[in-house]
Formats: sequence, C-alpha cells, structure tokens
Amino acid sequence: MSVSLLGLETEYGIVREDLENSDPVEESMKLLKACPRKSVFGKWAYSQENSHLDMRGFKVGSLAQDEEEDAFCAEDRKRPYSYMDMKCDRVLTNGARFYNDHTHPEYSTPECRSVLSLVAHDVAGEHIVAECVALRNQELKGKPLQVFKNNTDYSGHSYGTHDNYLIPRETPFEDLVKGLLPFLVTRQLYAGAGKVGSENAATQNFQGLQLAQRSDFIETALSIETMTNRPLINTRDEPHAVSSWYRRLHLILGDANMSAYATALKVGNTSLVLSLIADGEKFSELELADPVADVLKVSLDRTAILKRKNGATITALEIQEAYLETAEKSFTEKDCEQDWILVEWKKTLNELRHSPEKLSDRIDWAIKEKLFAEFMQSEGIGWDDPLLKSLDLEYHNLNSDRGLYRGLQQEGDVFSLLSEEEIARAVESPPVGTRAQIRGQAVAQGAENIKSIHWTGVEFANGEILDLTGVIGPEEVEEILNSNKQLA
Amino acid sequence: MEMNDPLRREEKKETSPDRDESGPSSPEPSRPGKDNLLKRMKKVDPKQSEKYKQRTGQ
Repeated sequence: MSVSLLGLETEYGIVREDLENSDPVEESMKLLKACPRKSVFGKWAYSQENSHLDMRGFKVGSLAQDEEEDAFCAEDRKRPYSYMDMKCDRVLTNGARFYNDHTHPEYSTPECRSVLSLVAHDVAGEHIVAECVALRNQELKGKPLQVFKNNTDYSGHSYGTHDNYLIPRETPFEDLVKGLLPFLVTRQLYAGAGKVGSENAATQNFQGLQLAQRSDFIETALSIETMTNRPLINTRDEPHAVSSWYRRLHLILGDANMSAYATALKVGNTSLVLSLIADGEKFSELELADPVADVLKVSLDRTAILKRKNGATITALEIQEAYLETAEKSFTEKDCEQDWILVEWKKTLNELRHSPEKLSDRIDWAIKEKLFAEFMQSEGIGWDDPLLKSLDLEYHNLNSDRGLYRGLQQEGDVFSLLSEEEIARAVESPPVGTRAQIRGQAVAQGAENIKSIHWTGVEFANGEILDLTGVIGPEEVEEILNSNKQLA
Repeated sequence: MEMNDPLRREEKKETSPDRDESGPSSPEPSRPGKDNLLKRMKKVDPKQSEKYKQRTGQ
C-alpha cells in the first residue's frame, strides 16, 4: 500500500434545545471544558500550522468564508475570550486531537496505519464526545444539550468530515486528480450518509432521500477552500510530514457515517485506489466530462447516466465496478485487511446491482431509506412531511436514548463491525506503530511536562523538542520510544 | 492499535454482512425492538430540524 498513514476529522453539530438562540461558541467551549479525559489542554502549537500552501504550487493570502460567517466572526471578536480560549484544544492519551473548529466540536483521530484501527478511533471519538455531552448535561440538570455526527443543518450550513491519506510526493498531483475524480464522484454509493431533501439552489424542490449529505455543497473540482467553493479534491498542501517525501491528501467531500462499516469501505477503498494510482494506473477511460455536476446528479439518482470525456456514457455503479476490478488484480491475497476490503467492496457493489435492500443494515443511506419508508407507511405521510428532516437529523444524534442509529444498534438491526473492547481500547490508547503512540505516551506521562504539542512534535517543559516530522513507520516510532528519556 | 483479524467477523452470522444468501433478515413487524424504534421516532419533534441552526464549518 502506498498510503502510509490515515486520519479522519469530524466536526460535530451542537445545539442547546432549551434556548431559543443556542450559541455554538459558548456551547462548544463548555463541552470541551467538560471533557474528563486525561489530556494536554490549550497547548496546541498553532505556529506549526500552514494551511495556505496549494498543491498546485502557489500560496494564498487568506482562506475565504461567506458573508454570514464574516459577520459572525466579527461578533466573536467582541467576546471576552482569546482565540486559544475558544479553541479549547485537547490532545488525548490515544493521540487524538479534540477541539473546537469554526464553532463545531471536532474530533481528529490519531494517525493510523490500518483501516480498521482508524474506524475504531473514529467511533472512539463518538464515545468521547458523548461522554462530554452527558457530563455537560449533568451540569445543566437535564438533557438540553444534543450533539450530532452529521454534516448539515438543512438550512444551507454544512460542516465537514475529512478523510486524510499520507501518500508519496513522487506521484504527480495531476495523475492523482485524473485517476481519483471518477472514484470520488461515485464512492457515495456506499459512503453517503443519506439526506432528506436538498439544500442546493438548483435542486431545492427535490423531495426524497439523496445519497449524501455533502453533495449539495460541492462546487468545484479543485480548491484550497473548505468553507466556500468546496472542492472534490482539496488542494491544501500541509503534509504534517517531510514535504519533499509526502503529501497529505485532504478530502473534504465525504459524509460523517454512523455506520462504521461504511466508514471502513470509504477509507479502505480510497486507500486502494490511491495505491493503484501511485503504481501508475491512469483510469483514463473513466474520466467524466463534468465531475462536479455529476456528484450531485449521482446523489439525487444513483442510476443516473454520466457522460465521459471520451464521449461514452457510464453509471456510477459501473465506475465503481471498474475500479474494483483493477484493485482485485493488484491486491488480492497480499494482505488480510486488503482482502477484507476487496470482499466487502465487491459484495456491496453486487448488492447495489441486484438487491440494494440488503444494504439496509450497514450503509447509512440504505438504512435510512428502509427506516423512513416503513415509518412513512405506518404514519401515512410522505417525503414532503417536515418530520422526515427531523428524523433524518435524529438518526445522527449521539444520545443513546434518542438517536435513531443508536436505537437500531441497541436492537441489533445494524451490522456491528467493532467489538466494545476494540472501541474501549481506542478511547484510551493510541494506535501502535505510528507517531500517535509517542504523542499519546507523552500525554499520559503528564500535561505538566509538555509546553506545546502538535501532529509533528512535542516541546517539553524543560525545553527539549521532540521532532516527529520524519517519524512515519513503526521502526522509527520504536526507536524514539526506546531512546527518548522524556518518554521513559 | 492491534486489531483482531477482520475476517473473524464473518463468523458472526447474526450480524455479519456475510450472512446467508437470502440476505439480511427483516425485523418482524410486531417484535418489541421495532415497536421501541417506532416509539422513538414518534417522539421526534417535527420542528427539530427547523430549530437546529448551525454555523458553516469546513
């Protein structure tokens, strides 16, 4: 595999239901402050961040946001808090970063080497966030605070779930773009979390369930922006590693999946395709004439006919089948996890083709489709009933007494990919063999020993700097764990 | 993190995607679990999504 490290970032939605005007800045800060986990608080090294470099070889002066958010930020500056106060950065013993990003509590997994490890850490994030919500609600003496793992407020405000892949810099960026775009446009067939209705001005009269939450918000193929003009491929060039060797592919078009199985397919299949491209596969025959328009077209109709650059037509399913066929030729019987991904990818595509109802226990949009269809039938209502959007939102609620996905889990109606033990371990412990293990161990040894911390290193209170920029593989991790006195 | 062999999950017939060829069994219409979920869905405030205002994120 050409993908050295994997990571997922999830921005959660947050609301106080007992207040007419819930303030996300206040609520997100109080949520982070309620976190009971051992952690390094308020010491994130923002000096190590650089989000303005573009993969296409230039630097932008600033990143954009819309006028509404500009106005909100102007008001935020009048608050009696510093930027760092509002961020409430925590780094946890499992190597994860838990903080506030653009008024949303965000859980960034530690860097992982395997897909299943990554999925366990993503689900661990749900548990940690839910734990903080429960503690905050104890303070509030009720359950007015609710947090959602989704990507929209149904009124045109979207927030992200980003999947990240550390890949070799030597793969030309143009090859990545050409080879990856048809895959990204169509992976929503299994990675889409489903959404009732549409928030795109061009399709706002759509009634029903579309495949993905984010497809309404994709406006261009390539862009460094994340809050406006959102792209299929984000061009931010910030590898958090040695930049001459690596690039971090930062994909912002994905949905927040409640189904861990869907997350595994999304990240696993994307990793395999990235490896194929790194090995020289071009997928030229799959290039789409209008990939940006097609992402919404497919989300609204998974059987839509798409035009290719070569003039021929193709469906989303046929595109995925072509990628799978190439991946099977290259990766079958080389690695246990890769074999699992290939088997599940094939099974999912076969069921999409022949019996999509079979996906209703493991693919989020299909789970919703079945659940909501049964409910509409029993209540005698249709997709135009406003209750459907509220049910859609409640599917993503982390509250175990209210969330619809949580209810399905409790009844055993959805596929359980991870054991409780695996999730519990990911809540406490970092993935073995990545630099997150070093970070987690440093945090576990005591926040008082740490002056600042970042993905790429730790500055200890005694002035010693542990630079992790070049620490990618398990051998390098072990060497540092064995030799660094601060970690002894 | 050390993960168990993912293939072992194929042995969990009741929840595995690899269940028999007839596909996932549908919940019985009258079984308690289904009623619980229906109750949960009926409790949802129809205006919940309308009241749910967020700020743009990334």
